[in-house]
Amino acid sequence: MRRAAFLALGFLAALPARAETLSFPVLVPLTGFLSLEGTSQRNGAVLALTEAAAKTEVIDTGTSPEAAVTALERAAGNGNVGAVAASMLGTQMLAMLPLAAELKLPLVTVSGTASITEQGNPWVFRFFPGDAVTKTAHARYVVEELGRKRPALIYQTTAYGQSGKAHLEPAFKALGAELVFEEGVDPAAKDLLPVLTKALAAKPDVLVLHLHSGPTALLLKQAAASGVTLPIVAGSAMHQPSTAALLEPVELKGVCAETAASPISGGSPGMDAFTASYRAAFGKEPDAFALGQYDGMRMVLAAVRDGATTADDIRKALAGGSHAGLAMTYKSDGKGNMAHSAVIVCYDGTSRVPALVKRYDDVAGVVK
Amino acid sequence: MATALQLLLNGVALGAAYALVALGFVLVLNATSAVNFAQGDLVMAGGLLAVALAPLIPLPGIVLLPVVLALMAGLGLLLAAAAYLPLRRRPPVSVFISTIAVGIILQNGASVLFGPEPRVAPPLFGDGIWRIGGVAVAEQSVAIVAVAALLIGAQQWVFGRTQLGRRLRATAQDPEMARACGVPVTAMILTTFAIGAACAGAAGLLLANRYFVTPTAGGDLILKAYIAVTVGGWGSVPGAVAGALLIALFEVGVSSVLSYPAALGALYATLLVILVVRPQGLFGEAVRRRA
Repeated sequence: MRRAAFLALGFLAALPARAETLSFPVLVPLTGFLSLEGTSQRNGAVLALTEAAAKTEVIDTGTSPEAAVTALERAAGNGNVGAVAASMLGTQMLAMLPLAAELKLPLVTVSGTASITEQGNPWVFRFFPGDAVTKTAHARYVVEELGRKRPALIYQTTAYGQSGKAHLEPAFKALGAELVFEEGVDPAAKDLLPVLTKALAAKPDVLVLHLHSGPTALLLKQAAASGVTLPIVAGSAMHQPSTAALLEPVELKGVCAETAASPISGGSPGMDAFTASYRAAFGKEPDAFALGQYDGMRMVLAAVRDGATTADDIRKALAGGSHAGLAMTYKSDGKGNMAHSAVIVCYDGTSRVPALVKRYDDVAGVVK
Repeated sequence: MATALQLLLNGVALGAAYALVALGFVLVLNATSAVNFAQGDLVMAGGLLAVALAPLIPLPGIVLLPVVLALMAGLGLLLAAAAYLPLRRRPPVSVFISTIAVGIILQNGASVLFGPEPRVAPPLFGDGIWRIGGVAVAEQSVAIVAVAALLIGAQQWVFGRTQLGRRLRATAQDPEMARACGVPVTAMILTTFAIGAACAGAAGLLLANRYFVTPTAGGDLILKAYIAVTVGGWGSVPGAVAGALLIALFEVGVSSVLSYPAALGALYATLLVILVVRPQGLFGEAVRRRA
């Protein structure tokens, strides 16, 4: 009964409405293990919506799929929803997708979970490159730019880490490089010296990391203390300013990372303006998740500005159009994957702000 | 050889910090027979408190330590007043749930106040590294071991050699008899919570420098404390310390041979073997045996 009532309200929300009355709820994980990334996501969405004076509300989805579904039901019942800034947690997205299709509400996310755009659901739009893109760029930088052929991979045992590993292995193989060592590490591991010791014993010529923020910093700290001089190319968690803040600049010397974008590295007046606005609004540094969600909501708002008055109008605009965002140009591949570029950033050992050293556009990776 | 020594040093430092977490847990357990599931979140609170105090007191962590101990002792009193005393005559599960609730409140409160980012606390003395025969000895590792040994030793002295310690032990062993003998039982319980939270604060400060701290860090730490106390012996202080060192041995030593997930599996298998072969834990269960 409750579900039926929510669905009815959702269908009402999908009825034609004046664009300025549309609301854009932000349903993201602000508590739990993904709160760091979820907060970035919220901030990016809220900044875009605030700049456009659009109606919004923020609901914390925590980390359970049930909480995300309840949040979507609640948001749909609160007014004429145009689109939803939806959780970057893959399990929550998978739970929300059927309901979004029933309610006919576009979900705009930066979730990296490949399967969310493999469900044949036309209501999901991902404004962050998936592992198929970023890990291909990651491996290409290691092999093509650094000329390394004996990578050692240390990854997280979480779904995030497993997905990265699953994409890195074939990417390296395709480039003629074989992993000489690979091992998963629990995010709760406090001392990463054992895995680092084993990795070095395999005599690699480069260390490849795919770890969350804290473990990335922990491993780099221990590598610096151990006097490791090998190049280290980390996953996107490294580019987050909060990760670099845990380390001294000298500990970052020679470290590179893949990411969708690095707002604090600048690159264009628009990017600089975004970074300044973000700092003023939230008192912290923006990362690629914030920028991806910002770009996604800006594309939604552009659709409204161009005449979209319903959620379905917005879906059509997202599915068929392209958008020159700050991080990249977004265009759907027919499945809702909007982002197809990745960049490599590197630290020079004198500051915590990385420099953009390589850009990969229109990357076609293998979707796992 | 140098690698083995390096791993040993890292393992001892990690075990010492875990011992402080387990110590606070076992103290409250002994005094109240209640499992304080907020202990891990108290460690997290201690770490974030050190992070917050660092800009206000721009001195080495050793100066912060007494301040953190005092403030955390106050938080321990609040915890006892809010989550234990009103429920102490209820079934033990009431206290389990109330301390879990306090832990969640601490976790979400920390998220709101500090944000979700990992933070780093100042080192106790300095963050330099001494290189001795191929082994990198971090100053903070030595400081962790020293402070943990000092606090554990001080606690043993207080409990073994002072009137306060005798009263605390009497309260732990038989509160009704202690009350009949004139021991202020409620005050002793409050004192125990204060000491337990202070231990958590010290552990938080020590851990947050080398291993960082996030609002969600407490969940894993309470699990470690629970395992340490179960392995060492439910209620045994030396057992808790031994259990903490055993966990560190698996996390650092065994994982240097097997993978980290396999080392964790081996730890839990060892725990099961101990529970089957010696259910009272390695150092027995002093309170129950006396009962």
